[in-house]
Order: sequence, then C-alpha cells, then structure tokens
Amino acid sequence: MPKLHIKVDPDLCIGAASCVTIAPETFQLNEENKAYVLDHGLEPTPRSYERIVEVTEEEKENMILAAQSCPTLAIFIFDEAGVQLFPEL
Amino acid sequence: MRFLIIGAGVAGTTAAEELRKRDKSADITLVSEEHHPLYSRVLLPHYLKGKIVRERVFLKKESWYTEQNIEWLTGITCKQLDPRNKFVGLSDGRELPYDKLLIATGGEVRAVDEDVRGVSYFRTLDDADHLVQLLSEQGPGSHAGIFGGGFIACEYLNIFSHFQIPTTLFHRGAHFWTRSLLPEAGALMENHLKNHQVELQANTSVTELKGEKELTSVVTTTGEHAVSLLGVGIGIQPDFSWMREAHVETGVGVKANAFLETNVPDVYTAGDIAEFFDPIIERQIQIGNWMNAMSQGRCVAKTMSGEKTEFRLVSSYATNAIGLEIIFVGDVEKAAADHVHLVGSIESGGVTQIFERQGRVVGGVMIGRNQDRKVVTDGIAQKVDFVSLRRQIP
Repeated sequence: MPKLHIKVDPDLCIGAASCVTIAPETFQLNEENKAYVLDHGLEPTPRSYERIVEVTEEEKENMILAAQSCPTLAIFIFDEAGVQLFPEL
Repeated sequence: MRFLIIGAGVAGTTAAEELRKRDKSADITLVSEEHHPLYSRVLLPHYLKGKIVRERVFLKKESWYTEQNIEWLTGITCKQLDPRNKFVGLSDGRELPYDKLLIATGGEVRAVDEDVRGVSYFRTLDDADHLVQLLSEQGPGSHAGIFGGGFIACEYLNIFSHFQIPTTLFHRGAHFWTRSLLPEAGALMENHLKNHQVELQANTSVTELKGEKELTSVVTTTGEHAVSLLGVGIGIQPDFSWMREAHVETGVGVKANAFLETNVPDVYTAGDIAEFFDPIIERQIQIGNWMNAMSQGRCVAKTMSGEKTEFRLVSSYATNAIGLEIIFVGDVEKAAADHVHLVGSIESGGVTQIFERQGRVVGGVMIGRNQDRKVVTDGIAQKVDFVSLRRQIP
C-alpha cells in the first residue's frame, strides 16, 4: 500500500473543519481549533500536525478530497518520494 | 444534456466539476459575475495580512475550465428565467437554453447609502485588492471604523489590529450577533475587545459619511467620529428579482427541499443563496459558509445527474476576534429555539450556548470554549437531548 506524508500548516488552518467532516479518521481538531493528523483514527503519540500514513487507493482519494475542501489550503499531501500531490504546484 | 449553472463561486464550480466527473459528454455552462477563476474567499484575510501571496488564493487556473470542457462565461449575470420554455436571459442579451438549471448566485453585500473613497466591503477578491490599497494609504494618526457586528466585522477587527490601526466599532444591536448570542456571550466579547483597545459603540447605526474626496468622518446615531477608513459588514442581500418573476419560491434564500430542488421543475439551488430543508435540524434554513457551499455543490450535482441525493451536514463556522475563538455549529437562531442553555461563564473566559428545540439539541455557539465543539457537533447529528449532552461537557 502507498504511504502518504500528510501535513497541516497550523498557521493557515482556521478550524473550518471541512477535513474533519470528510476524513475524520485522518483529521481532528485540537483545543486550539487546529486540525492535527491521525493514523486511521489512532493518535500515535505525540499529537502531531504531520504524519506518514499507509493508505489504500480509496483512502488516498478521500484524503486528497479532504485537502481540496480546505478553504485555506492548509493541508499538504506528499507521496513517498516527497512529491507534492496537493496543492498542485 | 445541458446543465446551466448561474454563479461560479465554490458551490457552482464544485457542481460543475462533479457534473463533469459524472457525465463526460454533457454541455456544462458556468455563468460568473466575477472575472477571476475560482478563488477562496476564506483565504482573503490571510492575503490581506500578508500570510500568503495573492496568487495563492486561486483554487483553479484559467485553463482548468477549458480542460474540463466547461463553458465559462465571465462578467455576466442572469436577468430572466423562463421555466416553461427552459431558458434564461443573461446581462449581455444572450438567451441560453437548459435541461437542468442550478442557482448558486450567493449574496451581494448590503451597502451603506453613500460611497466615498475610504469605504470598504469584504466579499470578493476585488474588495480585498481595494482594501490592500486603502491600508497602504493609512499613515500615523489614521483611525478605522467598522460598521457591523458579525463575521465580517471580526475579519476587519483582525486586519486593523494586525496593522495596528486604532479602531472604533459601531454595531446596530446591543452586542455581536444579536440573533444568536445571549447577553453573557455578548458581554464576554465586549470585554475581550475592550481589553484589546477596540472602542465599542453598541446600539449605533452609521447614518452619514463625511469627506469630499476621501472619508474624514462618519456620523452615527450617537455622534460624529473621525475615521479615514470604514469597513462595512452589515449582511448580504441577494437579488431575487428574476427568480421571483419566474415564481421560484424565495424567503431569506431560494427555498428548496432536502435534495436542493426548488419548487420549479429542473431548477435547483446550492450555496449561500439556498434556504434548504435540513433533515438534521429539521427545518428550512439558509447557511452561508464555505463547507456548506462546497458540499451542496457536490450533492446537488449528483441529484442533477440522476442520482437523487439528500443533503446532510452539520454545518459550522469558525472565526476569531483578535484571538478570541468563536465557533457556530448547526442552527443558532435564538428565535427558532425553545431554550438556549448556557455553559461556562464570563469570569472563566469562555461560554458555550446550546440551542434546544422540541427536546433535542439543534445548535451550539462556543466562545473561548473550543473543547466543546466535538461533543456539540456529535450531539446535533445524533439528535440528543440537552441533559444527555450536558453530562458529556466537563
């Protein structure tokens, strides 16, 4: 299964929660109202704004959809080679 | 199949994108009042404060429309709808036929009566560019005014605070969001803003603008105040005229059922303009936020292309006012609630309001209490009663 590097920029995140609605297994909001990254609903410690997660094709599509839905484009997704998949450059 | 979409904001553009995914050969036309490709209105404050460069606000490139084979008409509005013969009349005089029509026109800002240089609105990228220019002209001794007590007023507060411009805020009600907030929540905001050197003038309306070439002061119901810049955020006012002439039912928005279908066959609506039946909170409601608009665009496209899909989302809106976090979730209209319960206190620096109707929770407002957001959101979705919800809040 492919691995994705998922990263939230907390400085851009405004807590709109679009990502939480679309991909709650990957994103939740912390007490500062910023999205952090989970691994299939789990929070391997410490809580983090970025994480490498192993995903199925279907999960990958949904994570990209979540990133696309973010109104501040605060979510960045890279593939294993470090190529930025979203936002498209 | 000819799909025609009036309005190319996030609702209309997302609908066009989803329709193309589902139907490779349909004719899709997107009518845009603005000349820019899709951009994020939510990113405009970040652009104004210099957190991102201007080109980062765009979500689509100009070439995207051609690549998707979507006909993109810019600088054009709709003027007429003939639902019997199924065509619309556009502002450039053209008539366009449709099989399925989507109304996603959003809202126009409500304006003050006069216009003097120095007055700013905050909805479009052009508005933001104008404000960038105005901000660059402010010097020492500048004083900003804000007229309004809602989400746009919060954006102006943050922008003027960022540029360290002394600010006076005039709002018509006793406090912010008078239709949603209890006096305690209003007082919490007031204290916070006063602690951050914002001068507040409650129960005040701006009645006159003074200045020959440029704004020098505003006259309000309580006096005259010297300002060189005035940010206006007093709500939106959509243009319903062509819809009403075609007997499309409207209220505060375009009325629709839970499938975003209007009363007129083959005419749909989505985004800020839609007043749709929300099956979670169980009433017709108009909601203006990004997530709602984007999700409705995607949902209505499914229905328009033949897969009838009910729209379900617990909507939320998050902002902050000079560091104080504010979150609205679900139905937060006091007049539509049977009870509004208060959790927390002014002294503790945070209050949560829980809106209850017919024995169940339908909405929540959190000010300085982010930690309650998830419990309240889940409670609305699961239609729990207040007592069960209250037990989950420490």
